[in-house]
Amino acid sequence: MNNLRLSCAYLRHKKLSTALTVTTFAAGVAMIVVLLLVNAQLQNEFANNLRGIDLVVGAKGSPMQLILSSVFHLDVPNGNIPLAQAERLSKHPMVREAIPLALGDNYRGFRIVGTTQAYPEHYRARLKAGGRYFNKEMEAVLGAEVAERCGLKPGDRFAGSHGLAMGGEVHAQFPYTVVGILEPTDSVLDRLVLTGMESVWYIHEHHHDDDGDHEPAGHPEQAGAHHDADSDAGHHTGKDADHETGSHAERDADHHAGAAGHDHEREITALLISYNSPLAAAGLPRMIDKTNSMQAASPAFEMARLNAFMGRGTETLKYMAWFLIALAGFGIFAGLYNAMNERRYDLALMRSFGARPGKLFALVMTESLIVSLVGAGVGVLTGHLLVEGIASWLANAKHVQMTGLLFLAEEAWLFPVSIAVGGLAALLPAVRVYRIDIVKTLVQR
Amino acid sequence: MLEIDRLKAGYEDKVIVEVPWLALASGEHCLILGDSGSGKTTLLCTMAGLLTPLGGAITVNGQDIGNLHGSALDTFRGRHIGMIYQTLHMVSALTVLENVLLAQYAAGVAQDRDRALVLLEQLGIADKKDHKPATLSQGQQQRVAIARAAINSPGIIVGDEPTSALDDRSCGTVMGLLLQLAASSNASLVIATHDQRIKGYFHKEIRVGGIQ
Repeated sequence: MNNLRLSCAYLRHKKLSTALTVTTFAAGVAMIVVLLLVNAQLQNEFANNLRGIDLVVGAKGSPMQLILSSVFHLDVPNGNIPLAQAERLSKHPMVREAIPLALGDNYRGFRIVGTTQAYPEHYRARLKAGGRYFNKEMEAVLGAEVAERCGLKPGDRFAGSHGLAMGGEVHAQFPYTVVGILEPTDSVLDRLVLTGMESVWYIHEHHHDDDGDHEPAGHPEQAGAHHDADSDAGHHTGKDADHETGSHAERDADHHAGAAGHDHEREITALLISYNSPLAAAGLPRMIDKTNSMQAASPAFEMARLNAFMGRGTETLKYMAWFLIALAGFGIFAGLYNAMNERRYDLALMRSFGARPGKLFALVMTESLIVSLVGAGVGVLTGHLLVEGIASWLANAKHVQMTGLLFLAEEAWLFPVSIAVGGLAALLPAVRVYRIDIVKTLVQR
Repeated sequence: MLEIDRLKAGYEDKVIVEVPWLALASGEHCLILGDSGSGKTTLLCTMAGLLTPLGGAITVNGQDIGNLHGSALDTFRGRHIGMIYQTLHMVSALTVLENVLLAQYAAGVAQDRDRALVLLEQLGIADKKDHKPATLSQGQQQRVAIARAAINSPGIIVGDEPTSALDDRSCGTVMGLLLQLAASSNASLVIATHDQRIKGYFHKEIRVGGIQ
């Protein structure tokens, strides 16, 4: 028999109210853990994806949408910009690096991005052994997660499908060949299929040559350098012969940009720009915004805006979580206060058998601390399991990568805080121990 | 072992009982007789160190209880006095065995499971050791209370009407057990009762409530 065992016996004796209090406490703690983990991982994800990108240039529209669609690959793009203008911009003296992106297709929900080798290199991605980068159309390099989830390896062939989400028309007659797989980068790259821009143009120009219906660039569903083929598979079969002839001209983007002789002016979805000098921030965005087809969006600015929105929500949830913990603390208090009433005989009995008030004070404290610490423990565990659940749900949505197995230093704070809440809740009931009148309590008269 | 000298017992400065003189040697037992409300229980509580004497002296094992205060009194009470209340006050969250060990926990002495089991065995309720008190009969609970009062081998065991709720047969058994336990640790029994059946077991008796 000791304080701990005695407290446990009492807690077992009133299982239901113990369970209720522990649950409430755990709910509050779990909520805070979820907020901490999700927030930390989103921030990390944002930071990794934004690495070194100073400006994103795309079609006019919502700058937030532009950032979300082309940096994080979350939203749909708001349109296309002419390749020629993008090329001109890339040569601006204040631009150190400009990475073109052409969106429009997906493979099993993973976006296929037409770009250059500069894109993976920007994220310091490395190819897994035995792979190489694409150097002609219809060659693809897969992000680590794509390769793993789809079970593809170099040499395999797959067909992309139309649109940015699963379920679009499959371009079965234009299969890609996997030529390389990237090591995990902890960025959005892990969930992308990279190919040369020429591949994207190639597929869609072949469609286009047939029916010629030019899709408005502002159409978000099928934006990107993309023209709808009206899903007529019959058009394509005869076009397979063009395959070889059309290909070499599109090998390099530079050559292409000047290809005014081509039927259509080529388009890309967005341009990711790194500045040469901080001074660029002063003039470059304004210059771009003056054009009638392009806008410049600053990821840092848009993210700050997004954080401000999300911050408010997170803040509210955080207050709710603390409210739950306070409520649980109050539950412990009320439970103990009532229990002290029922238990005054037991306590008086122990006093009469020689227990000093301090000993019983410690006993009541122990009981409260067990509840709060078990609550905190259960809460932390539940929080991690919840985040793991969110993570597997998000993994299916192919958006943001998350894990419940991340443990943050901030979580450690939950334990001293729980002890404080438990101690505070038990203080008043425990102090009553000192005022027990042994004789009046134990002796009937 | 127990010595009372011109004791005034009561509480909140109101004297209820006066005992001019009483001395019990080790192993001598004393009965306190009196009608309900005569102050038997007040006297018992004073002897048990739960109430401070309002006058005179009460010495247990050579220690004047009136001179002890606070935690010193708590400790003394835990080690030298065993108490059986009229209302048995079993701790319902604990098993029978744990109820017995609770007295050692409270007194802050080493907990002796073996001794507790021997006591329960002697009292014939060893098979109930892992049961909750609520599942026991009144007579069985009474025995647990006796084991709890005796576990610390106190110098005096103080009982408030320990037999009045029992039938004749149980009354005899319980008195037998109490005397047996008292004898084994050379303790004195001090029992307050209006139960005339147990008079024969005691060496001395005092009567409270006017006639002494």
